[in-house]
Amino acid sequence: MRKTTFLAALTAAVSLAGVAHAEDMVFTSWGGTTQDAQKAAWADKFTAETGTNVLMDGPTDYGKLKAMVEASGVTWDAVDVEGDYAVQAGKQGLLEPLDFTVIDKSKLDPRFVTDHSVGSFYYSFVIGCNADAVSACPKAWADLFDTANFPGKRTFYKWSAPGVIEAALLADGVAPDKLYPLDLDRAFKKLDTIKGDIIWWSGGAQSQQLLASAEAPFGSFWNGRLTALAADGLTIETSWDNNITAADSLVVPKGAKNKDAAMKFIALATSAQAQADMAAATGYAPTNLDSPALMDPEVAKTLPDQQKASQVNADMNYWAEHRDEIGTRWYAWQAQ
Amino acid sequence: MLLSFERLGWWKWVLVAITGLVTAFLLLPILFIAALSFGSSQWLIFPPPSWTLKWYREFFADPRWLESAWTSLQIAALVTLFSVGIGLCASFALVRGKFRGRETLKAFFLTPMILPVVVLAVALYAFFLRLGLNGTVTGFVLAHLVVALPFSVLAITNALEGFDKSIEDAAVLCGASPLEAKFRVTLPAIGHGLFSAAIFSFLTSWDEVVLAIFMASPTLQTLPVRIWTTLRQDLTPVIASASTLLVLLTILLMLLVALVRKGFKS
Amino acid sequence: MTQASNTAMLAPPPRRRGWLPAGLGPATPALVLLTLFFVVPVVSLLLRSVLEPSPGLGNYAELLGSSTYLRVFLNTFLVSGLVTTVSLLIGFPVAWTLAIMPGRWARIVFAILLLSMWTNLLARTYAWMVLLQRTGIVNKTLINLGLIDQPLTLVNNLVGVTIGMVYIMLPFVILPLYGVIRRIDPSILQAAALCGATKGQALRRILLPLAAPGMAAGGLMVFVMSLGYFVTPALLGGTNNMMLAELIAQFVQSLVNWGMGSAAAFVLLVATLALYAVQLRLFGTSQMGGR
Repeated sequence: MRKTTFLAALTAAVSLAGVAHAEDMVFTSWGGTTQDAQKAAWADKFTAETGTNVLMDGPTDYGKLKAMVEASGVTWDAVDVEGDYAVQAGKQGLLEPLDFTVIDKSKLDPRFVTDHSVGSFYYSFVIGCNADAVSACPKAWADLFDTANFPGKRTFYKWSAPGVIEAALLADGVAPDKLYPLDLDRAFKKLDTIKGDIIWWSGGAQSQQLLASAEAPFGSFWNGRLTALAADGLTIETSWDNNITAADSLVVPKGAKNKDAAMKFIALATSAQAQADMAAATGYAPTNLDSPALMDPEVAKTLPDQQKASQVNADMNYWAEHRDEIGTRWYAWQAQ
Repeated sequence: MLLSFERLGWWKWVLVAITGLVTAFLLLPILFIAALSFGSSQWLIFPPPSWTLKWYREFFADPRWLESAWTSLQIAALVTLFSVGIGLCASFALVRGKFRGRETLKAFFLTPMILPVVVLAVALYAFFLRLGLNGTVTGFVLAHLVVALPFSVLAITNALEGFDKSIEDAAVLCGASPLEAKFRVTLPAIGHGLFSAAIFSFLTSWDEVVLAIFMASPTLQTLPVRIWTTLRQDLTPVIASASTLLVLLTILLMLLVALVRKGFKS
Repeated sequence: MTQASNTAMLAPPPRRRGWLPAGLGPATPALVLLTLFFVVPVVSLLLRSVLEPSPGLGNYAELLGSSTYLRVFLNTFLVSGLVTTVSLLIGFPVAWTLAIMPGRWARIVFAILLLSMWTNLLARTYAWMVLLQRTGIVNKTLINLGLIDQPLTLVNNLVGVTIGMVYIMLPFVILPLYGVIRRIDPSILQAAALCGATKGQALRRILLPLAAPGMAAGGLMVFVMSLGYFVTPALLGGTNNMMLAELIAQFVQSLVNWGMGSAAAFVLLVATLALYAVQLRLFGTSQMGGR
């Protein structure tokens, strides 16, 4: 094993700019079990079908992506990014337009399709609660902002992204169909009322740790993370009331060396079976409309696509347009 | 009196108490990590519901852990070598040199420490793309060398300033060549500074994650990058077992060194 | 690089050689390395702070005109100062004890110190995060001992950052200080005792001044390192004691706004170097470890 790594390192040292060979392509995602699932459900099958080797890289880093496009030294071919970033990067000219003669978008959930990106997987922000730790569980976003009836710490996603601002506005009584354009002043005013009671989670795993240890007995979570906790034997209550959807997207950086292979890879990754396999492995929802039919009904019913009755779609286009403005204000507000 | 343990009186107990507390403080997370690595809870609940070896099995079942650790080790070893070598030379210039602006030069050597690494990472990455160095061991080592060098310079200048140059001159007077005097008199005398420099340089590279994310390629992944993504995504105690194995390995190495020393003495 | 460093190491002792200032020669490898792989790339990135999104000083005006960013700046220096002070206060007695305690015990403490450094930084930081939580072991133990009734908030605030960072920085203080104290001639202190100095006087007038170069070197290293630190404060601190490096990381990696990111980095660089210059002016080179 040591010898092979050393050889690999040597090869990398000798080959100058290029990492992938002509018949290889590079897929970049966030690492951990999510990327392992993407490898099993998408990359391995792609290699079996086409003979093209898919090398795994990561974690996704927007700074690195921008730098490689600017310097015309793109080493990534297909990348998993957040949905709002995908729209923004597309507008900034950092991405190749997708080839929809290769990728069949007729079966894809139109909420997550743009000229430069298609949905990789999607998830909902839902209200999760460790029922063993508290006497009453919050059921609606307003409950999470109600410290009198639901005292204690609550946890929210730390980064500037669709989810928390929408939740604050919904809690403040804004109708789900009147959310956009976002009233930021109102949202931050509402968030101010519970700022001292918030513990921020910066990664999915941390949110699970906070809930499992009852450090924060309730809060806003990605739905798949709660499914995993419940499967581990914890008493977790999930409220899908006004669950807020957001998605990860698959994109191809501008100037990718293996553009054609990347298009074919994305076509396979968004096919019904590949999306169903990925969803079964991770608890995220498929972005192909034909996938649920291929899945075990027991698993399918835990996914966000079964919760459309009371569902709010985060507006990726609005977010892409205002990503910088909201982000700058968000981090400044947090630092206050 | 203050430097003799026996003659310190009651001060001795104050010092021993502080050192004991600090040692406990240093040990606490290590012991905690070791305990978690045998716990069954993926969410780090403590005390764990039951004990298990499954995280160790997972560690050995996934060859990428050992591979990335091996890559990290190679890079860190190269960084250490160059950092101490270049740092030693630079320190001689800083301490023994007779030119103006030595303090300015020292400040210059320390600036890579101040600059948040992410800025250096973006800058170096864009630069390396033009040179074709990204994703290579050379690029990796150069990037880590830039952030490790200040530690070497600080540790070695500190040691060199405490060393009385007249001893080296005396050796020369007694017939040693200036070079011989440096190697046989000065270097052993500042050995502690060299040791600190080596440790700090090694750890700077071994633990570094931000530059590593930028320098990495599919064939060149270091351990901290794997740990970083795994902690964020999965928080699995596999990381605890990896850390525990490294600690065990270190203890074994230390014991080995101690045994060898004893063998030499007797 | 190897060639250059070897020749420099084998170079004869400082001597005037043409255009090179006396004794600068051995610094050449370091100078070349840092110029090529630090100054050139970083300057070309920092230039973006006056070029993006439009040429001018707009980024600096926004940065220095906002009370939030000024708070982050101030906070960065406060946290770094606090971490440095605590590390020195704890590190000095430990280094002192290590230098004089019986060898076997000293070796054990050293081994533990090295073990703590060898354990992955991220793993250690996560361990502290879980240890210090309201439901963590530290709080549970304190409650079981009857020392407190309500769990203390030890994480996501200044306390958490300080504990986590001091833990990481301690070796950087202890190792250089240990070296310095080991080299102090015990007979100086014996002489002081003979002249009738009390322990307190000997500590204040002799041991501390003699250890000052080590304190300055370690303190400088810790302070400067803390200024640019980001992982530990991000995980153990609250958002209201955000440090500059985290803000810069957000600009660079999350918002991909390199103009603002480089402007903030440049301000941090200038402020730190100015502080270094002031320290040199006030205390002279002796405080910095020179003789």
